[in-house]
Amino acid sequence: MLMAKADRYTAVALLALGAAMLAGGWTMDRLEIRQIHPASIPGLVPMILGGLLAVCAGLLFRASYADAKRGPEAIMVGGSWSRLGITTATCLVYALVLIGWASYFWATAIFTAVFALLFSYPAGGSSREKAIAVAGAVMLGFGIGFGSALLFERLFLVRLP
Amino acid sequence: MSGLQDLVAGLTMVMTPGMLFHAAWSTLLGIVVGSLPGLTATMGVALMTTLTYSLESEAAILVLICMYVGAIYGGSRSAILLNIPGTPASAATSLDGYPLARAGRAGYAMGLATVGSALGTLAGIVMLVMIAPPLAEAALNFGSFEFFWLAVFGILISGQLTADTTPLKGYIAGILGLMAAMIGSEGIHAHVRFSMGISDLNAGIALIPAMVGAFGFAEVLTAMWNKAGVLAVAKDKSDRTIPEFHDLWRYRVTILRSGVIGTLVGIIPGVGEDIGAWGSYAAAKRASKEADKFGTGSHEGLIAAETGNSAVVPGSLIPAITLAVPGSASSAVLIAALFIHGIRPGPLIMIEQPHFVGLIGAMLVVATLFMAIYGLSMTRLFIQVLRVPYAYLMPVVFVLCVIGTYALSQRLFDVWVMVAFGLIGFVLRQMKYPMAPLVLGIILGDLLDKSLRRGLTLTDGDLLPFFMRPVSAIFVALIVLSILFNVPPFRRAVTAPLRRIGRRRDA
Repeated sequence: MLMAKADRYTAVALLALGAAMLAGGWTMDRLEIRQIHPASIPGLVPMILGGLLAVCAGLLFRASYADAKRGPEAIMVGGSWSRLGITTATCLVYALVLIGWASYFWATAIFTAVFALLFSYPAGGSSREKAIAVAGAVMLGFGIGFGSALLFERLFLVRLP
Repeated sequence: MSGLQDLVAGLTMVMTPGMLFHAAWSTLLGIVVGSLPGLTATMGVALMTTLTYSLESEAAILVLICMYVGAIYGGSRSAILLNIPGTPASAATSLDGYPLARAGRAGYAMGLATVGSALGTLAGIVMLVMIAPPLAEAALNFGSFEFFWLAVFGILISGQLTADTTPLKGYIAGILGLMAAMIGSEGIHAHVRFSMGISDLNAGIALIPAMVGAFGFAEVLTAMWNKAGVLAVAKDKSDRTIPEFHDLWRYRVTILRSGVIGTLVGIIPGVGEDIGAWGSYAAAKRASKEADKFGTGSHEGLIAAETGNSAVVPGSLIPAITLAVPGSASSAVLIAALFIHGIRPGPLIMIEQPHFVGLIGAMLVVATLFMAIYGLSMTRLFIQVLRVPYAYLMPVVFVLCVIGTYALSQRLFDVWVMVAFGLIGFVLRQMKYPMAPLVLGIILGDLLDKSLRRGLTLTDGDLLPFFMRPVSAIFVALIVLSILFNVPPFRRAVTAPLRRIGRRRDA
């Protein structure tokens, strides 16, 4: 996607966020019942920030047209989408699903081993290379699971999830 | 001179076997973290904060400072050998470091980087112990008005100087950080704002999960997205790691200038090491008789960049300790870590703990010492570190992001915050929004909010004292000038006399 186009979408989202913040600050409880000074209402700074963000969003929207004239600058180019997708998916599954559902040791061991295997498995390699990759990933998984559990539970006295 | 006396007293406290042991391992770990592209100093310090909860406060702070110093220096390894800066601070280093490595002089380049970094940090330490105590005393006279403008100035200047393309994106990042700080119970009436019915949000967004997400998880994603660099392993027979003395003596003015520039850049809130390196590099190039060699393997350029970025470390601690306003993203984490360990940075530090600045200076000296020893003796080890595949490294980093964040308050909500900030941070980075103003916004949001409303209450809603008190007026002038500097006609008018002087000098 071109940066100018992405900036335009972002400007719209930021404008909505700024307007929401402004409205949130305006409608926020003014604590009259506690007889606070009107200049110290909790919504004051959120209102200012919402207004400022909306102004910046407008300026960003306008600047995106000037940027488009200067030349096509693209975002999210030069990297690997598949690596990014796999990384995001495995990390999210670990942090949002496995942690809290499985015991910390097993969640960490499974995540580490799967992540390492996904990125180090030699699909076109010999059986020996494949076996080494699998063994390495499993060993890393168990090592990190055991080591980090030991460190945090025994040394830092953290009740693991 | 009491600053230097405190430094000597601090050294006697730090020079114990236990403290030296902590300094030794944490500096080495810092260099390893910094040398790996994708792992930055801020991430290292944030993760290390989660690993030092159970240590004594002095030992924990020593570990974090050694990690910070080591990581900023370590970034030069991959900048020189891979042409990929290990940390953003080393981007300028790669300009001359990589050509030297390609010419078979990688060892010498790393030696120069080591000595430059060590001298830069030492220059910054001297300025830290000299400037911090009087600054803290001056800040004792600050009221709500001054603190409000200080927070505004910090976010504004950070947004302006750290943005890649347009300052507007820096400002937006700063405002987003401030907005994140508005979530949760506010500091004057304890009213809960924007919690959306989620009780975990009542206390607001904690800094460490946000930082670990924005600098840890986002960096894991960035590292896996990017392609790996090519290691420059050519070796010339004349290559050596210890720099020649005449090379250093020849560039003594460059070293001194870069040390001062780096430290001053460090003092500016939320600006950071990369600007220190670029500023020093540009100044050295402008003043050099060998300006044409810059970018092709210039020893002077390499020394300037490394001295500049390392001097930012002590420089950034000056406002962090005395005003609780971080000079860089890493020092923002350090402020959070200081609070965790029961130390309250801010103007009262010189009253509550008058020797603290000297102690921090001493910790920096010890970190520099270990950095120099490792840098000059372990060149081969660091080349091996760069060969560790991301497939094995990144899951370990992410596990530490998760469990380190969880360990802070032992609640899964912090892990979700970390993940959210990681995803948002990655997208914002790809769209060239700087992270430093965002972080600064989160840390300064409470100060800005309380100072404005407290000041308005004191003046019964009158805005005039915000502009008329002397220090406030200076801040307002600086803020107006820095905004106007973005307007091309104003900038041209201001810089025209300087350009004329430059042309006359060249002629």
